[in-house]
Parts: sequence; structure tokens; C-alpha cells
Amino acid sequence: MYSGTKDFVARTLPFIQGGLKAAEPVLVVTGAEKIDLLRNALGRDAKAVDFADMAHVGSNPARIIPFWQDFLDEHRAGRRPMRGIGEPIWAGRSAAELVECQRHESLLNVAISSETPMWLLCPYDTTGLDPAVIGEAILSHPFLTDGFVPGPPNRDYRGDEASAAPFDVPLPEPGSDCHEFPFGPGGLTTVREIVSGFAYGAGLSPSRAADLVQSAHEVAVNSVRHGGGRGVLRVWRDSDRLICEIADGGRIDEPLAGRERPRAGAAARRGLWLANKLCDLVQIRCLQSGSVVRLHMRI
Amino acid sequence: MSSIKGTSGGDGPMAGWIEGEPMYEDKQLVIRHTEPPNGLSFSGVVDLFNADAVARSLSAELAQHGDLHIDLSKVEFCDVSGIRALVSAAEGANGSGRLVLHGLPPLLQRVMTVVGWGELPGLELCDCGTDVI
Repeated sequence: MYSGTKDFVARTLPFIQGGLKAAEPVLVVTGAEKIDLLRNALGRDAKAVDFADMAHVGSNPARIIPFWQDFLDEHRAGRRPMRGIGEPIWAGRSAAELVECQRHESLLNVAISSETPMWLLCPYDTTGLDPAVIGEAILSHPFLTDGFVPGPPNRDYRGDEASAAPFDVPLPEPGSDCHEFPFGPGGLTTVREIVSGFAYGAGLSPSRAADLVQSAHEVAVNSVRHGGGRGVLRVWRDSDRLICEIADGGRIDEPLAGRERPRAGAAARRGLWLANKLCDLVQIRCLQSGSVVRLHMRI
Repeated sequence: MSSIKGTSGGDGPMAGWIEGEPMYEDKQLVIRHTEPPNGLSFSGVVDLFNADAVARSLSAELAQHGDLHIDLSKVEFCDVSGIRALVSAAEGANGSGRLVLHGLPPLLQRVMTVVGWGELPGLELCDCGTDVI
């Protein structure tokens, strides 16, 4: 926890410098302004630190875990512990993005387990963020710290098992201008045509429209193959977003579905991974009624 | 090839490919033999619906003819199942023949890279047609 940008630098700098002193690889993923401040404060040492702009890496928060995995894979052979700072939540996040960031923070406990030789610091700005956001952060982090040393185990942490539990928080219902199309195994062409029509109607560029069509198709394929053979497509606009939702009777119960880089030889499901890469935001829910996947594109 | 149906690529990168009889046809896809080069030209949609059939056809061709050049410039849509069909045929050939993919539409090329099938033994991506949409 920190309050304001100055405090951010004061609290994270010793953590970074401690890593450098121990010759540990350090990766910092936060906003561009804070990266500049840290670079200045580090001086010549800044060259030894990897920086990445969270607005770029984590605009869709589901892309952050693979980013950390790449960092781990790159440095694992060095057999040194690693340090990271990741700040996915900032005050300007939309409500839908915020929920997905919070899910991401929980899933980090699954993807980067306590045995992983990495110390990952997740800074939260108590002056800029809603108290409810801070409250959720306390539930999703096994340790709380002032930024210098690891704190004692956090008694309020919900635990690894609960962090990996199916995400069953319902999504807000769309407004009245929502179009609904049930589809079956033979309806994939229709799904593509409908999504394409809405994408062009909303003014998406041809390549972003194609990205959305491809993603919606792959999710609909999952419905046909794993979701009981059929599903329901819903499409609507929500202020500056075009949203396509595909619901079916299946269960997406792998917690890291869509967040694990497919290996060349593996036959694992690639549709959700692809959607996360091509769409601005992907929301996956595993409800009592079945699974729901929402694809968001900024208009 | 006894019956020549025209050239595959028009004025595009695949100009000069001679197309023959269809070797596979369904309601959304036609695959024709080409010669030269020794290969196949796809037009239409490859997806979950026909991916297995396409994989079988490709495997049979690879077993018979070795290296195959595939013109994908007229593919309107190809999903992950379709890409998997290409990949599994290439893997199944086990070094006895490669698939050389030509004229990949840009989105298809991007999708192949994103899903981790951009670089595989037995599968070669020719950049001759990246500007073909």
C-alpha cells in the first residue's frame, strides 16, 4: 500500500535496489509516469532493471500472467530468485476492467505459486483508489508489506484454493438494446456473419472487426465442442464498447483458461487464449447455468 | 493434369499456378490440385465443420507426393481447428514431406503465430502473399 506517486517511489526503490544488489533479475510493470520516476531515482542502475508499461501489457488484464511467465521462463535457468512489481489497477480503469484486474490478482496466486522463486510486489495507491478496491486487494494477497521486507502472512487472505475457484460472480445484464441469437452445431457461419455485421455497424476497422469475428467464432466452437453442442450469442453496445457474449451449458473450470501460452505440441484449448490476444477485454464466468464469455472491443 | 480450370492466383503472388480438378469439396470449401507447383489450392472456409476431412486429405497427399505447396490466398476464413488440420498433417508426415503455405491472409498468419503454431518442423510459411487480403 502506498499513498501518491512520491510515496510509490520511496517504497518500491529499496525493493528494486535490494534485488539488484543480490544480482536478481527485476521486472517492473506499472504506469509510464512511475517508470520515468523510478528510472530517474535509480540513475545508472536503471539499465539493470526491465520496465514495461502496464497500460500496454495489461490493458486486457488476462495478458499479464503470460507476461510474468515469460519473465520467469527467461530467467529460470539463472537459478536466482527474481523480483517483480506489477500494478494492474489504476484509478481510471472501467468497472469491467477493474473486476477482471481483481480476478487477475487472485489468479496470480495460482499461476505464480508460493514455491515460485519470485517475490512479486503489487502496489496499491490508497489515495487514488476506492476503499472497496483496497478491501478486495487485502483478500487476494497472501502477504501485506510496506514495501521493504515481506510482512507476516496475511490472515485475511482468502487462500490459494479459493483463489483458483471457478469465477461465478454474475455479470451486469445488458440494456434493452441487446440482440440475441441462439446457435447450434451448424450455426457457426451465422455467428460470424452476425458479429461481422455488428462490428462494421459499430465502425470497427476491418482488422479489428476480423479479430472480433475470429474470437467470437472460436468461443462458439467451444460451445459446440464442450458446451453441450449449442449456445446463445448476444451482442450489444455499452457506451464506447461493442460486446459479444457467448453463453452455453458447459463449464470453464480451469482457472487459468485463456492465460496459459499454448505449447506447440499440446492440443490444449486455444480459443480463449486467442480471444485474450485479439480482444480488448475478455470476461469468463462459470455460473450455475453454464459458462459465459464476453468479448469487448472499444469502438 | 487432364482438366485445367484456370490459374490459381490471378495477377497475385500465386500467378502461374495451374489449377486442376477438385480433390476435396464440401458446402464451404473446395480444394484443387495445382501443378506446377505440386500442391493444392484452397478456396472457402476451413473450420471445425471440415477440419478433420481436410487433415485426412492433406495427409494422403503428403504420403503420396512429398512436399506440398498450399495456396491459401482464397481462404475466406480459417479457425484454430482448421490451422490444427494443417499442423497435424505436417506433423504426421514425419519428415517425409513438408507443407509450404503460400498467400496466407494477414489475420490467419497472426492467428497462427498467436496460438503457437507459427514455427513448426514440417510447416513452412512463405511470405510471398502477406499482402494478399
